[in-house]
Amino acid sequence: MSAVAAKNGEAAAPHVELRRVTKRYGPVTAISDLSLTVDKGSFTALLGPSGCGKSTLLRMIAGLEPITAGQCFIDNLDVTDVPPAQRRIAMVFQSYALYPHMTVRQNIAFSLSVAGQPKKVQNERALEVARILQLEPYLDRRPAELSGGQRQRVAIGRALVRKPEVFLFDEPLSNLDAKLRVQMRLELAKLHADLGTTMIYVTHDQTEAMTLADKIVVLDKGVISQVGSPLELYNAPANKFVAAFIGSPSMNFFPVDIAAINGRTASVVLPGGRTVEIGIAAGAGARSAELGVRPEHLTVVDPKDPAAAFAGAVAIIERLGNSTILYIETAVGQLIVEGEGDLDAKSGQTVGLRLNQSHARLFGATGATL
Amino acid sequence: MLRSKRSEYTTAAILMAPFVVIYGLLFVYPTIKMAQLSLTDAPLIGAGKWVGLDNYYRLASDRLFSVAVWNTVYFVILSVVPSTLVAMLVALGVNRLKGWTQSVVLAAFFLPYILPVSVVFRIWSWMFDKDFGIAQNAVQLFNNGQHLSIFRTIPLFMPAVAFVTVWWLLGFNVLLFIAGLRNISTEIYEAAGLDGASRWAQFTRITWPLVWPVTVLVFTINLILQLKIFDQVYLFANGGRVGATMVMVQFIFTEAFQMNKGGLAAAASVVLFVLIVVLSVVQFQLLRARGAR
Repeated sequence: MSAVAAKNGEAAAPHVELRRVTKRYGPVTAISDLSLTVDKGSFTALLGPSGCGKSTLLRMIAGLEPITAGQCFIDNLDVTDVPPAQRRIAMVFQSYALYPHMTVRQNIAFSLSVAGQPKKVQNERALEVARILQLEPYLDRRPAELSGGQRQRVAIGRALVRKPEVFLFDEPLSNLDAKLRVQMRLELAKLHADLGTTMIYVTHDQTEAMTLADKIVVLDKGVISQVGSPLELYNAPANKFVAAFIGSPSMNFFPVDIAAINGRTASVVLPGGRTVEIGIAAGAGARSAELGVRPEHLTVVDPKDPAAAFAGAVAIIERLGNSTILYIETAVGQLIVEGEGDLDAKSGQTVGLRLNQSHARLFGATGATL
Repeated sequence: MLRSKRSEYTTAAILMAPFVVIYGLLFVYPTIKMAQLSLTDAPLIGAGKWVGLDNYYRLASDRLFSVAVWNTVYFVILSVVPSTLVAMLVALGVNRLKGWTQSVVLAAFFLPYILPVSVVFRIWSWMFDKDFGIAQNAVQLFNNGQHLSIFRTIPLFMPAVAFVTVWWLLGFNVLLFIAGLRNISTEIYEAAGLDGASRWAQFTRITWPLVWPVTVLVFTINLILQLKIFDQVYLFANGGRVGATMVMVQFIFTEAFQMNKGGLAAAASVVLFVLIVVLSVVQFQLLRARGAR
């Protein structure tokens, strides 16, 4: 539930809903039988690698892409065959898609202008939006005379001026440099907090999704892999795909044998022979699995330490200041370990690794979490 | 990389030299000689006597020359404006096609452009032939069911040649417009659609302003080309009342190579040269200024 809806004491209502939608391009199926609800006032991120169908999904909500089968609802109204302009949505494109021959003012006021609003109203509204986005000094410039961040803001302004009920963002920050991206991310979060409008945001960047969204929809090959809050996805991934996609550096995986399953715990034999108990919710009868553990849940210890689950040699050290990333060659392949910023380690040194087993996860043969 | 200024200049001079030499030898020098020639009464070959501006005064009172100037301007109006507009319309249509159909249609429109003028002349003189031309079926409708010799009917001559010229050169102009239209990303149209712009509004507010520079370019290229009209008019008028359909380049050709009046022909050439420079610069500036508003 969004902050705004919670503040107003309303129950979260579905605002945008996709019912069993399918999108086919000739013989290729981009989206298959997908259902999704987006709550009113929420900030929902559609996250996935390129080609997973997230942009197609967004364009289907916008009405720019016809839906092969299934329905799209906005505010409980079937808009499947409603043209984009009448869906009360606004979209910010990855390329910004600003009108290059118009000034910032004309770009922002374009929708009002084609709707036949008087010049005075157009000017007032453009000015109002420009004030919110700090674009006032640039109103008479053309897009070519603006920086990337300013163009981005004009694109948002063009969406804002229409007072839409739903904002759609298609990878809006991917053309900006790293520093500006962080800044715009904050501005978008602030905008959402101020407006309380439903926002749907497509990205391949898990950091953007984690920081901005209250709900993340992870897509894989046109199918929803998991829906949940950022921490749900991080702490309780439904499958190996989500576990691997969320988190940076990425989760470590290696194959293990299951010695025994006792109710909700599995006894797992680690490489080197040590047995650990790992909590599970499914997977009765499985004999083997893949163990996944995040870099921060592996701790560097002395190789002779009795708590050391296994040992390996340090290959590469990355010192980031607040943390240290170690790449360690072990019997099960390379593992990534995240330690303290002042972690004492040298390249080539043999170290022991302790496994924080309460945070480890097991994944079955299909990739689903056990 | 640091390099001395001097060696940069030397390299630049060496690279530019062939062009400068050829341009000077084959354009600047003959142009100056032509201007000099126009002030003499020289025949086509050999020197002449200095006569000052006499040739220009003679042109001003020459009936045939004023007919040639009028015919040229008339032909430009009949061919340049339609060829620009038709090319844009065709380009808008072709641009909406996708994949191989677009290539095929574009190729079909471009095909006439690669034909030599003699072939174009043959095709259309057959098409419009008074006795067996297929186009006579259309002509009949407007001529009380009678066949009509289009290229021997003076009022129809220029419009007909202009029509053939538009058909002939259309492909090239369409290509220029297609290039301009492809520069407009589909996302801009999607954004405009989301902003509530209708098809027509998208054309007038997005497409038209964005292809305006291409329109100016196509218009200018065609203007310069058509002011120099000669081949089609010469071929289609052959055997008819040549004087009535005379155009400027034809006048120059006749005076110089048939009447052996080098000085007078040179003067007419200077007039045409100035006309082209002034008209193309003026219209280019005017149209560009309108686009930049």
